[in-house]
Amino acid sequence: MKKTIIVTLVIGILTVFSANAQKGMDKFMVQVDGLGCPFCAYGLEKKFKEFKGIKNVKIDIETGDFSFSYPAEKALTMNAVISQVEKAGYTPITSKIERANGKTENSEDGRVALNPEDLIEKEVFVYGNCEQCRARIENAAKRINGVGEASWSEDSKLLALSFDPGVISLESIELSVANSGHDTKTHKAKDKVYKKLPKCCQYERIEN
Amino acid sequence: MKYLYILIALAIFSSCQEKPKEWTYKKTIKIEGVNPIGIANANGDLWLSDGDHNRLVQIDSLGKIINTIGELERPMHIDFDNQKLYIPEYGTDMIATYIVGSWELMKSKLKDSLDAPASIAVKEKEKAIADFYNNRILYADGNSEDWISFGSEGSKEGEFYYPTDVQITDSLIWVADAYNNRIQVFDKNGSFVKMIGEDQKMNAATGLFVSENEVFITDFEHNRVLVFDHQGLLKQELKEGIEKATDLLIKDDMLHIINYRNGELALYDLQEKKE
Repeated sequence: MKKTIIVTLVIGILTVFSANAQKGMDKFMVQVDGLGCPFCAYGLEKKFKEFKGIKNVKIDIETGDFSFSYPAEKALTMNAVISQVEKAGYTPITSKIERANGKTENSEDGRVALNPEDLIEKEVFVYGNCEQCRARIENAAKRINGVGEASWSEDSKLLALSFDPGVISLESIELSVANSGHDTKTHKAKDKVYKKLPKCCQYERIEN
Repeated sequence: MKYLYILIALAIFSSCQEKPKEWTYKKTIKIEGVNPIGIANANGDLWLSDGDHNRLVQIDSLGKIINTIGELERPMHIDFDNQKLYIPEYGTDMIATYIVGSWELMKSKLKDSLDAPASIAVKEKEKAIADFYNNRILYADGNSEDWISFGSEGSKEGEFYYPTDVQITDSLIWVADAYNNRIQVFDKNGSFVKMIGEDQKMNAATGLFVSENEVFITDFEHNRVLVFDHQGLLKQELKEGIEKATDLLIKDDMLHIINYRNGELALYDLQEKKE
């Protein structure tokens, strides 16, 4: 009986301690461009190990989703995270922090709410090669105010969009996609942006 | 009568002539719970580095794990020579060695610091390391403690964009120059010799194997393996059973290709070429 009480107490203390430890952690979620293979994913993880106290590092190679927890008392900023992702050789697309105190910081804050009835659907041709291209193209479109959905097909190279033409024009969306490094039929990415794409994403360009 | 003899001789000659062969898909073996990055043949036993799970595993012919070496941090392209498995630890910049059968795992750090070693190749006294983030190859001939270093970031001859695999043969060093999407070949002084596969539109040339007559490279994003002769002439493109392949080797005349994402081993053998 005595033993059972002691074991129960120890488990209880450990549970409370662990819950408090989790409570004291900020959670970071970053979508990263340029992760293609395990070599890249492990490389990103390696560069973040320089942050002492980092925990629960998770990386999804396919989607580029990268998340980790970090002690709240160290007050790690979004800028420091973005800078470390860039130092590792990759480009952050979106980022979100869930602070231990319940506050949320989101790189996409400030977006206008869309009314489904105002949305129209269009398809545009966008040059790209692979899954990483897909993530980059879709994110370039989705992060624009006025865009609801964006879905790019590696096979057809078509980007299917739903957007509110009262908020954003199709041309502006194409321009934003081109600014991410991917040519469309009407807008060409700048050479220096194209050259900065990961080698695997450097699609064959059609010279005009 | 003379012509008859000639005809008979020709018939015998042509029937004795070896018909051309090609690599042919045989089967795929599932390796449960493993995301293999590297493969090594240790005296007939297959070892895989399981990067996602920070371990090396030995598998049997059915793909079942029969031995595990843990306590590794992101082991990558491994090699075996003289009873030792050589393991580059991408996460710690160390090289681990494991004497097969002894359960003795040792780790060492090079004086010349590495940044994410992606592969090690060992051939008797010689060693070579693909140093991923430093975009270079280190090579030691074994006659002294010194390593030579060659390569830097770029896409010209002798430059690398994230090298991921290396192999030493009698007179050459072969490098999978992953994100330049090509193979580069050097002599043992680190001087550029030739480039292979740069025109094949590969997308992440991650794993390399050089046999007596052929060079094999995994094209990670395009789910294929390309087979060249030593001069760089493309002989064959293998696609069946290949998905996100990271490394390969020939064991018992069978080509063993590991698929990272699905934890699979695809096997090919040499068959007479179909007309």
